[in-house]
Amino acid sequence: MRDNRRARLILAMLLLTAFTLITLDYRSGGGGPLRSIGNAVFGPVERAANAVAHPIGSFFSSLGHLSSYKSENDRLKAQNQRLLQQLHLTNADKAHLAAADKLLNLAGRAQFRIVAARVVANGSSLGFESTATIDVGSQDGIKRNQTVIDGDGLVGKTLSVGPTTSTILLGNDPDFTAGARLEGSGQHVGHVDGGGRNPMTFTLLGTQATMKVGDQLVTYASIGDRPFVPEVPIGHIVRVQPTPGQLFSSGIVAPYVDFGSIDIVGVVVGTPRTVKRDSLLPPSPTPSPSAGSPSPSASSSPSGSPSPTGSP
Amino acid sequence: MRRSLLAAAVVLTALMLQAVVVNRLPVPGYGPDLPVLVVVAFALGAGPSYGALLGFITGVAADVLPPADHTLGRLALAYAVAGYIAGLVEDVEERSVLTTVAVVAVGSGVAVILYAGVGGLVADHRVTASAVAHSLVSTVIYDVVLAPFVVPLIALAARRAEPAA
Repeated sequence: MRDNRRARLILAMLLLTAFTLITLDYRSGGGGPLRSIGNAVFGPVERAANAVAHPIGSFFSSLGHLSSYKSENDRLKAQNQRLLQQLHLTNADKAHLAAADKLLNLAGRAQFRIVAARVVANGSSLGFESTATIDVGSQDGIKRNQTVIDGDGLVGKTLSVGPTTSTILLGNDPDFTAGARLEGSGQHVGHVDGGGRNPMTFTLLGTQATMKVGDQLVTYASIGDRPFVPEVPIGHIVRVQPTPGQLFSSGIVAPYVDFGSIDIVGVVVGTPRTVKRDSLLPPSPTPSPSAGSPSPSASSSPSGSPSPTGSP
Repeated sequence: MRRSLLAAAVVLTALMLQAVVVNRLPVPGYGPDLPVLVVVAFALGAGPSYGALLGFITGVAADVLPPADHTLGRLALAYAVAGYIAGLVEDVEERSVLTTVAVVAVGSGVAVILYAGVGGLVADHRVTASAVAHSLVSTVIYDVVLAPFVVPLIALAARRAEPAA
């Protein structure tokens, strides 16, 4: 144990410096100059690293989805050319095309103006955070506190924006919270909260309102649509939690977005004046006897109404 | 000097791999924490002063590396102490694989506990008892599994870079 005193002195000075940094950053509320420098310096490096390493990562993360993408192959081939132009995908594989297709579809139906982006890095910080870096920044018109979506629904919001990259807070981060509305209802609103390792929860405000399993949730617009634009699908209720003696009821939410494998996302930079209510929701997840038909309109008329064109 | 250049290159690679690849792997738990593993590996060959300093620099880089979203300095503090502790074992004669693995386990565990502890001080509500427990188990196990491969490799490279110190 040689030069132990010197080592202890060095450690003490480093700890002092660390606590000074922590205090300064905490008091300034984060987003200090050092973090801006980190964004500007490391963002491009991450983009480059991702260009090299992405095929490896996407190979692993797409293993679980191979079968479902194969069947969509034919349809996607037709849209290949258009999507390549719109998204500048240089190395587009089937999974990316499927994701991009769904994103454009959702944004198109909502008439959102989006800036398409790819996730280049994910944050963890020893497992406590759920954040991601995307490859668009202030040069692309991205600002703080904008809604991030993918083809399935709400991904999160932008936290800090560098010149060519931005950090987004994902919906499963414990720090994440968003106003939400139950489908079909007028004013049945509350908030969803990311749970970290625990599932996402929805708290319904108001004593009159009730929720049931299968109810779908969409975002409730924030003031000036920042950070959240309205009507983006979030997920559906899978369990209603008993809250005896509480004013608010709460439920467990299964989000539509798989936060573990997000890749192609869109930052919403513009919204139409109104978005039609519940117009962006996927088919209702309520269990139906007909084996999971994907189109809701086809299976929604079980009554034996006489159809004039049906008889041969 | 050459060892420091090597350390800088390895640390940067570890930080990038962590953000771009490891954090996106669909593995159970959170996966390994490569930066602390690298810091511990270099500290084992270079002593507590070097370990603390390298840990601090690595931590500051990890604190500002997007998409980090926590108070600046938390990982710097955690990694500095982990590097210091690992460096204390530098002089142990004939270090066995078991000792190395134990040092990696302690270093990773200390990093998690300090990061979470300071998080508690600055009211980070991501830090809950269950999150700390999960992070501790996941980080220590994955780092221990990787240690027998990563630590000898770094030790070899460090000796090549700075022979007969």
